[in-house]
Amino acid sequence: MTLERELVDCVGAAHVEAIDPRTGSVIGALAGPVTGTSAGPSTGPVTGTSAGPSTGPIAGPVTGASTGPSSSSLNWRVTPGSASEVAEVIRRARGYKAAVHPVGAGGRPTRVAGDRARVHVSTRRLDQVLQLDETSLLVHAQAGLTGLDLERVLGPRNLSIGDYPPAVLTSSIGGILAVRTPGKSSVRHGFFEDAVVGVSAVLADGRTVHTRVAPRRSTGPDLSRALCGSEGTIGFITSAVLRIHVRPEARLVAAYLLPSIDAAVSAVYLALHEEAAPSGLRIFDAHEARAHFEGLELPTSSALLCACTAGPTDLATCDRDLITSAVRAEGGATTDQALAELWWRRLHAGEPTPGPSPSLQVMATPSKVRAVYHAVIAELANLGGSARAHISRFNADGAVMFATLERGGAPAGGEALAAAERAAQAAGGWLLGTRAEQLDTYLRALRDVLDPDGIMNPGVLA
Amino acid sequence: MAAAVDVERLQRELEAIFGPRRVSLRDVDLETYARDMWPRALLGYREGHKAPTRPHAIVWPEQVDEVVAVVNLARAQRIPIVPYGGGSGVCGGAVPLLGGITIDTKRMQQLRAVHAAELICDVEAGLSGERFERELLRRGYTFGHFPSSIYCSTVGGWLATRAAGQLSTKYGKVEDRCAGLTVVTGRGEVIETDGPSRALRGPNWTQLLLGSEGTLGVITSARLRLSPAPQLRVFRGFEVDDIAAGVAAIRRVLQKGLRPAVVRLYDELDTLMSSFSHHDAEAETEHVIAPPPPPVETGALPAWPGPPPEAPDGVVARLIDFAKGKRLRHAVTHAALGKSQLVNRLVGTVAERIARRGCRLIIGLEGARIRTEVEAALTFHELEAAGARDKGEDPGWAWLKHRYAVSYRMSPVFRDGAFVDTMEVAASWEQLADLYHSVRTAIGRHAVVMAHFSHAYPDGCSIYFTFAGTAGDAAAAERLYDAIWRDGLEATTRVGGTISHHHGVGLLKAPFMAAEHREAMTIFEAAKAALDPDGICNPGKMGLGARGRR
Repeated sequence: MTLERELVDCVGAAHVEAIDPRTGSVIGALAGPVTGTSAGPSTGPVTGTSAGPSTGPIAGPVTGASTGPSSSSLNWRVTPGSASEVAEVIRRARGYKAAVHPVGAGGRPTRVAGDRARVHVSTRRLDQVLQLDETSLLVHAQAGLTGLDLERVLGPRNLSIGDYPPAVLTSSIGGILAVRTPGKSSVRHGFFEDAVVGVSAVLADGRTVHTRVAPRRSTGPDLSRALCGSEGTIGFITSAVLRIHVRPEARLVAAYLLPSIDAAVSAVYLALHEEAAPSGLRIFDAHEARAHFEGLELPTSSALLCACTAGPTDLATCDRDLITSAVRAEGGATTDQALAELWWRRLHAGEPTPGPSPSLQVMATPSKVRAVYHAVIAELANLGGSARAHISRFNADGAVMFATLERGGAPAGGEALAAAERAAQAAGGWLLGTRAEQLDTYLRALRDVLDPDGIMNPGVLA
Repeated sequence: MAAAVDVERLQRELEAIFGPRRVSLRDVDLETYARDMWPRALLGYREGHKAPTRPHAIVWPEQVDEVVAVVNLARAQRIPIVPYGGGSGVCGGAVPLLGGITIDTKRMQQLRAVHAAELICDVEAGLSGERFERELLRRGYTFGHFPSSIYCSTVGGWLATRAAGQLSTKYGKVEDRCAGLTVVTGRGEVIETDGPSRALRGPNWTQLLLGSEGTLGVITSARLRLSPAPQLRVFRGFEVDDIAAGVAAIRRVLQKGLRPAVVRLYDELDTLMSSFSHHDAEAETEHVIAPPPPPVETGALPAWPGPPPEAPDGVVARLIDFAKGKRLRHAVTHAALGKSQLVNRLVGTVAERIARRGCRLIIGLEGARIRTEVEAALTFHELEAAGARDKGEDPGWAWLKHRYAVSYRMSPVFRDGAFVDTMEVAASWEQLADLYHSVRTAIGRHAVVMAHFSHAYPDGCSIYFTFAGTAGDAAAAERLYDAIWRDGLEATTRVGGTISHHHGVGLLKAPFMAAEHREAMTIFEAAKAALDPDGICNPGKMGLGARGRR
């Protein structure tokens, strides 16, 4: 019995594909093409991130071809159709000490080094809403569903997962929970993990844990928070119970022009301290605003603030008025509302945003936001280039600056990017993807206990 | 572990770290630190029994380095450490099950910094809740955490148990307000879990350490989120036909996206008790800040609005005395509480009478002036649209004024030979009615039980059951007490609720942790092995490894 044969036993030949270890591309399903699946590499997000080379042991030799086009590979993509199939796949993989790498919906295997048998487990077929509790406003969704998939189920019932940034809509639930990114933070609902009431996941030994659902509890550590953010190293997330919301009665957008970035940041915090709870806020510097809104004229040092408020009509209005007052207090005024409407449509209705994606994302606490912004702008100017930026993802931790760097008329990377990162850090910013290395000992110890063979997404978070 | 402790050597080594004044092996201290406020432990204590287990020593560190030193000493000698805050826990979490060193954190009590722009403060674990809030208020902020134990609990104790304050619906529980922890782990290392949660990769260590009740390490300080002190407070009382109508009204408010600070719905008996409690309390001096003075013996029953309820054997009158904080005479208490089934049936009768007036609902909002005003208007509108009847501001303010009083009403009951305890469970809205009826029935077989619904969230709510019982002697009382908890918590798990909303686990709920978490306990156990490889941190608690005595 080979691992490949065992994988076929678990999920059926149609759902096991061999991967070319040299190119990383999928050679094909062992039972030929499967109807309904996309052949080529898709563009969706990939769960898990690549890091250093793995040092795991090599699985037993795979002897002879079984059924399909190729099985000389030590890399497979399997696509289980249920949580219990995931558990079975992990159990079998463990028998061979093969690595298990989670792959988000439509994602491409990223780690295919030939030194070790690797099973890339796709959540693509874990695409069911298991339960919708409209009384408690909870949805139990499988990991392969994207936010958009969920919205399609919830929308007709006047429900929604809430006002999160587009990354939440386009990623699989499993992926967005497994990886910490700034793209899942909402000024109105907080961090996406705050919406998690329970998680089901398969551990390295093939057992499935279901953290219990309760609005709050006082029964030890929040065990679902060990799984969220652990990038598949503690457990393979198969489903999650999420808090959802009734669609807001009203949604209002507004755009404001302020004399400077500093004034705009101050206005935002003034409004937040008055307890305004908008569903979206974004500050553009003048350069960025011109890049995002064709034909927009505004003074070089000024800033554009777009805001969206939502909720019961009176409350949405109240929040908008609080923001307007704060803007006035900082010397700004309302401007063309159409700008805010376009901004919101781009965020939530899929309208394309112009220009290259920002190359630098820096998180900063409220007192550091301004300094981080100015440091990056100044650093690029020193290097003879330029930077433009917007600031959004405001929540209790702070906000994120998204900067686009240019030098000589082209996007700046390499040294300029590294210099900008250093400048941002020196000003008190946090680069995304930082790890609390002090805690690595403990994560390693935790993994050693749960996964002594080191099969769960090895090489990641190590 | 405990048997082999060389006490003289222990004292010598502890004094080398702490000096002679911050170490105690005195008998009176060992006996005092043998328990917290777990009612079960008080049953034997009342009859003069010595504590079954006591610490070998108590230390009072002032610096994190001293905590590191004592943890390393404990590791070397393989003896347990038990962190101790205010000692106000009600689940036996601070009981030194295997002896060892009890680490009292109360000398680590600095509010080190308040970062206004970040709305975050840096505070040491041993600071008392009341002093913490006072210090913040002086600077224009609030942590928003107001447990009824606020005078006798510490910040570290809150964090170790995932405590909740009365205004949790707006401010959240402590775990919702914690940005980072400093912890001395069972390996004797200091770790800090701070950092913007979305920027840092890996599991959320803050959330793994919160609620660990000293089983993974000792929390020495924390970065906690603040809110500007409220500019406006609005409190009101409403009346609803029954529990079901009240629950529906609360759910409607919260799912509309409104965030009152507090929502409390009392069931029939609790409505009766709280109405007397507030009436009577209003006649007393105000004690919003200071703990209430010992209850006064004088004073007639307040006039019952409408015909007085039937009260065979004076049972209800006795309960009312309890509500009013009166000292009960032993015999009368037994007469009332010894007939719990009768009383609970009686409550049905009384309830019918009360039901004509309905159940009491208290709601309060606080915060920034303009937004709170708008939110209050919307909230009251939603309640009325759900059929709640507005009873004006007085019941709301009366609750606010006397909100800390209830904890101080327990002593007289114990003095009189009975016991009283509270069981705070929670569930999603969908399961909430089941939870209420199942647990009430389960406890009602053994004791007089009443409940209120508090700590409401958009997806569910906590139910706070109060029960009182009595038995012939301490042993019988302990058996009865255990049966109440066993049946109540099993009923909770059966209907899909959680066995604790904010009191924690300790010894009391340790046997129920396996049913609560099932396979997920594996992760907790792995965290225990990672952070406390020698098993010295508060051993025998929370259903980890070595089981508790029960």
